[in-house]
Amino acid sequence: MRVIGEWVEPNSRVLDLGCGRGELMAYLVQAKQVSATGVDLDFERISACVRRGLSAYQGDMTAFMRTFPDRHFDRVICSRTVHELNDPAGVILEALRVGSKVTVGFVNHGFWKNRIGMLFRGRKVRNAVYTTAWHESQPANPLTIADFEDFCRGKSIRVVRRAHLLGDWRTPCAVLPNLLAGYALYDLARG
Amino acid sequence: MTDDVQAPPPTQSEPGHLAADDVGLVAPRDFRHPGPFAFRSGQTIQGFTLRYETYGAMNATRDNAVLICHALSGDHHCAGWHSPADRKPGWWNNLIGPGKAVDTGRFFVVCANVLGGCQGSTGPSSTEPATGRPYGIRFPFVTIPDMVNAQKLLLDHLGVAELHAVMGGSMGGMTALMFAMEYPQLTRRQVIMASTANESAQAIAFNEVGRQAIMQDPAWNNGDYPRDGGPRVGLAIARMMAHITYLSDAGMDRKFGRRKRESAGGEAYTFDAQFEVESYLRHQGESFINRFDANSYLYITRAIDQFDAARAAGSLEQAFAPVQADSLVVGFASDWLFPPDQNRAIALALLRAGKRASYAELATDLGHDSFLLESDELYSLVRGFLERDETYSFDFAI
Repeated sequence: MRVIGEWVEPNSRVLDLGCGRGELMAYLVQAKQVSATGVDLDFERISACVRRGLSAYQGDMTAFMRTFPDRHFDRVICSRTVHELNDPAGVILEALRVGSKVTVGFVNHGFWKNRIGMLFRGRKVRNAVYTTAWHESQPANPLTIADFEDFCRGKSIRVVRRAHLLGDWRTPCAVLPNLLAGYALYDLARG
Repeated sequence: MTDDVQAPPPTQSEPGHLAADDVGLVAPRDFRHPGPFAFRSGQTIQGFTLRYETYGAMNATRDNAVLICHALSGDHHCAGWHSPADRKPGWWNNLIGPGKAVDTGRFFVVCANVLGGCQGSTGPSSTEPATGRPYGIRFPFVTIPDMVNAQKLLLDHLGVAELHAVMGGSMGGMTALMFAMEYPQLTRRQVIMASTANESAQAIAFNEVGRQAIMQDPAWNNGDYPRDGGPRVGLAIARMMAHITYLSDAGMDRKFGRRKRESAGGEAYTFDAQFEVESYLRHQGESFINRFDANSYLYITRAIDQFDAARAAGSLEQAFAPVQADSLVVGFASDWLFPPDQNRAIALALLRAGKRASYAELATDLGHDSFLLESDELYSLVRGFLERDETYSFDFAI
């Protein structure tokens, strides 16, 4: 949230895909005076956003974005959501159309603890984002930093900046991010 | 709007109007606008009356008013009881009252019967001064903007400086939307439920069948009929058909299924009402003709059909450009008259126009009438929207 807050320009127009109960939007409105809109599928989360004084739309994020003109938003944020999408490439490309910049944040499944956990425990990764057992959760796409870099290269998406954080999700990770970073944030723009 | 999706009659031994969260006994009042009033059509009448009710108290800054807008067959009586003997309270009594989602302890709630209506406001059944007879179809054509302009005069009369919110479902949502467009300085919030920025061909088609049922009834007589007469058969059929559009397949199945009336014996080869749904609709038609004027039905359905928020400006985004209100749009999954997509379209256009707007959708099986639903989810959404601070002060506790 803090890193995203540093990247977001003050007074900009922000779209938060998978906005949940609006914690990030509320933070950005207060810290950066942005005008924020969120999209989520769940009524109770939308209701929580409305209670907070935020604009939030209940519905499919791709269908939502399709109704907006190019570059309507200064920034589209897709944080801790990308692994649950049915069509991640479709969402990110559509986000790059309606947003001048796109911020994507995800748990790095290449992180050594996740690798070892899988190797020795032989169990699905569980952490602050993946809190539930397999049978309680949405189908998820475990992705790694290397996977995401490949994706951006393959789609000619320009990586404006990246932030790789260690397992504490705070300390910047300088070397071997695919092995040593627990969380990754990317700021993207059209190539 | 149907009569039956209401707060249930009070089950406790004390009468409903004495319940702690009820506005209690209320009485309608009449606002008489003395001057001429010009309709969008260019026609003019010399003054009009709006019948209205208010609940709660206006604050010192005169900015805590919530204007409630009713649907096609609704009226000014949206909360409380007219008499202890009443079988039912006002039509939105479940939502409006002390401590309820629209809290009359905080807000000054105003609701008026629309211009063109027949529940005490001036309309086609009112006496035309020149002839001393009911206007009939000599009454000027009424539009949603005309209804809004008339209600604005009422708010001026009451001394309302700013509307905390305007809200309504179905046609009431159109009226609320028009209010925020026509009087942006006045309107701080709008709540639009089960509504549309412009009706689909299907919805217009249903209204046209209703109008034809009325106009093909010989007793309609070109709109010229005595107050206690008129096209009772046509109006009842119009209501029966319209009523189906307010429900849903699943909802009707749950409520009636194929159940037969107790008096209907076995495989009776007769056209008397056998199924419960038949007698229900007949009852709806019968009770409607005793409280609604057929010409008003023609005028108001016409106003609903003509309503097109985008038309004058070219697009919804441009039409919404002047809006200053924060908006909450609520759609209902089983509403096939004004379906979720038409409600979404309002919220999306507001957002594209750079306005603050939210869209939420409830999964119910009550169809179009779902906005009258008793739902804690709906209450907390509406309360959260009405009571949130406009200045940002966020609680970061998760």
